[in-house]
Amino acid sequence: MIAAARSSAFAPIFLVAAFVLSGSPASAQKAGGSITVGLELDIPGFDPLKVGVYDTAALTASSAIFDTLTRLDANGKAQPKLALSWESSPDFKTWTFKLRPGVKFHDGTPFNAAAYKANFDRQKDPANKCRCAFYISAVASVEAPDDLTVVYNLKDPSVNYPTLVSYANQNAAVHSPTAWKAKGDDYNRNPVGTGPYVLKSWTAGDRMVLEKNPDYWDKDKVYLDRIVLKPLPDAQSRFASLQSGEVDLIWDDEYDADNIQRAQKDSRLTVHTYTGSGATVYAMNTKKPPFDDVRVRQALVMALDRKKWSQAVTNGLSRPASNPYGDGSWVKCKDDGALPFDVEKAKALIKDYGKPVAFKTLVTATPRGRANGQVLQQFWKNVGASMEIEQVDQATIPARAFTRQFEMTPWRIVDLADPDPQMYANFKTGSPVALANYSNPELDGLLDKARTTAETDKRIDLYCQITRLINKEAIWFWTFQNTYYAISTTKIKGLPKMYSGVIDVSRVWKE
Amino acid sequence: MAFFVARRLLYLVPVLLAVSLLTFSIASLLPGDLAMTILADQATPENLAALRHDMGLDQPIWQRYFTWLGHVLQGDFGRSFRTGQTVLQAVAERLPVSIELMLLAQLGALAIGVPLAIVCAARSGGPFDRFMTGTAFGMLSVPTFLSAILLIYLFAVELQWLPATGYIPFAEDPLANLRFMVLPSLTLALAEWPGIMRILRSDMIATLQEDYISLAKAKGLKPARILFVHALKPSSLTLVTITGINIGRLIGGALIVETIFALPGIGRLLVGAILTRDLVILQGVVLLVAAGFVIMNFIVDLLYAVLDPRIRHGHA
Repeated sequence: MIAAARSSAFAPIFLVAAFVLSGSPASAQKAGGSITVGLELDIPGFDPLKVGVYDTAALTASSAIFDTLTRLDANGKAQPKLALSWESSPDFKTWTFKLRPGVKFHDGTPFNAAAYKANFDRQKDPANKCRCAFYISAVASVEAPDDLTVVYNLKDPSVNYPTLVSYANQNAAVHSPTAWKAKGDDYNRNPVGTGPYVLKSWTAGDRMVLEKNPDYWDKDKVYLDRIVLKPLPDAQSRFASLQSGEVDLIWDDEYDADNIQRAQKDSRLTVHTYTGSGATVYAMNTKKPPFDDVRVRQALVMALDRKKWSQAVTNGLSRPASNPYGDGSWVKCKDDGALPFDVEKAKALIKDYGKPVAFKTLVTATPRGRANGQVLQQFWKNVGASMEIEQVDQATIPARAFTRQFEMTPWRIVDLADPDPQMYANFKTGSPVALANYSNPELDGLLDKARTTAETDKRIDLYCQITRLINKEAIWFWTFQNTYYAISTTKIKGLPKMYSGVIDVSRVWKE
Repeated sequence: MAFFVARRLLYLVPVLLAVSLLTFSIASLLPGDLAMTILADQATPENLAALRHDMGLDQPIWQRYFTWLGHVLQGDFGRSFRTGQTVLQAVAERLPVSIELMLLAQLGALAIGVPLAIVCAARSGGPFDRFMTGTAFGMLSVPTFLSAILLIYLFAVELQWLPATGYIPFAEDPLANLRFMVLPSLTLALAEWPGIMRILRSDMIATLQEDYISLAKAKGLKPARILFVHALKPSSLTLVTITGINIGRLIGGALIVETIFALPGIGRLLVGAILTRDLVILQGVVLLVAAGFVIMNFIVDLLYAVLDPRIRHGHA
């Protein structure tokens, strides 16, 4: 049982290995100094009950203020953080984490299993109506049998659960129970965690100043004395602030392709990029004609020239996706069964279908949304299908998707360390987000098997079978891989992989 | 005078009520559903119905309006569903930034516009006048988002004289504060000075044709003294009005300028509230800003009455 082998007996080895690794090139890492980071958005706060979900800007701050049970290493494997070791029950429905002793929150409250459970229970409590509860709906309960043991009871098996509590999102970040009880409504903007940085000051809409936590349990691997986070909402002036030296590192995305490409040519700047797992996708509602016919679905997918599409919307920065896993996933398929770009074959399939192909696609009413919609419209016109763009507010799309009031809708598979949560939700018959309304016993069987198989090789094989089946049936199609960007001056070193799009600056240093 | 003020104050009541009604309906009629926004990826029909009921969104719109208005009259503008901040807290934190920006922008616009207007009026029709009138017309057509980016590239990226974005409170470090405020207020001033210059110039030209100016010239007074002492004062009445009304334009400009320069002001607060559909903040801030604008114009009216007795007595 591989997952169990990654348990307590081996944990000390990881610690030793980590120590040796960081020990040898230590001369390169310089302690001290401060950096300023330009983020996209104003951070609304950190109390999960208030904000519900952390966005990318909040995640950069939360990765510095809070710790999680685990972290991901460069290979995407879970490593110890607040948890020192873990093991699962044979059915993968119970995971037991042994906690790091002697850790304290910034306000002096001891971190222990009871504090961890209090965080979970507060989010889960139906009376609190937390939007965050949705993301832990697969967890039945968390128990704290003793001071340093936390037990997760899952509703469904999960062979890779420790990787899913590895970044400081609204559910996994551990808050001080004393602080939220004492501060009430004000806790949202006065967060207290166990993390490497302590919140010093925060001016709404302007700057958040974080200072190094002198009592951090891992303080030797925390270098900067101070991190300043600033919301810089305008893409042009954000980039100009980096060029002028106002900030040391900025968040960016591929729709700001001009600046990213300019930065790639600038010897004073470093472009950090991470192609994660997942992709932007579209789902076709197979209960509505013409999508009830596999020929139409295949024809529409074969009509897509993703390279040209990428050129049109992001100067070619977007990386085409042929499966839902992406380059950042450990699921790699020799053959993912992707349909080829083939206009002639697509035309033939539509001709074979015999009826006119006309349908509507939901598109977000933003410049990006419209651009993507127009590109799709053109591709499909080329093969004889007529698509009508239906512009809707971004917030409307999930509601329309859940109630299946769409013919085709955009969606996203986000970057997660394990494919199971999203693949199961998106494709298992009857799931609320199985948007295609498609049911196939073979697919259901593969999904069930993939979530209860421990051996990685076998799981990879199962997930490749799954994508071959979905690609063949063409119920969803993948457009571009999730790719995340940050740009910094060349002096900034040690930025880890941007898992889930999180820019974690808590362990970088400045040369 | 007391009667005049009382009558004007009475006019304010329907105006402010209309503003509140407009604000509320605009926010409520925005595309997109507040409940959907809050729930996002959990917007199942059951969750939506439950949340709408909790927030009173299932009540008819007029009923929601009166509930909101009732709270507002008691000084309770509501709380953001995103941050938990009250509207008054959020506005109080950000108002000083916007007021400073508008004052500096207005000063900058006057500093550019007034001297140019005087010089142009003195030699109206001359080459300099024609050149400046053309330039002013051109500048009027340059949108602030363009001049902002150009200024950033010139002064922050190329010359590196001034910071591109950011803010430091005046109380913390007055000099640093001014350094951060130069480019944003210059951006706004660049959009404002042409209007000031054109109006003052034409008023001055009219004044310079008055008999008493000819008399002053005949008496042999120096041209500079005639321009600054005898012509400028009577020509600036329209300018005072324009400066008051311009505050409305400046608030609009602040939305863009504060976003580009990342100033934590009212404009940014509003843009953020619109983007995140934070209707409580949006309604509250728009109402407060509109009320502020209405009251400013009320004060300008009063100043007028002080300056000109004809208005006070209702003969104008």
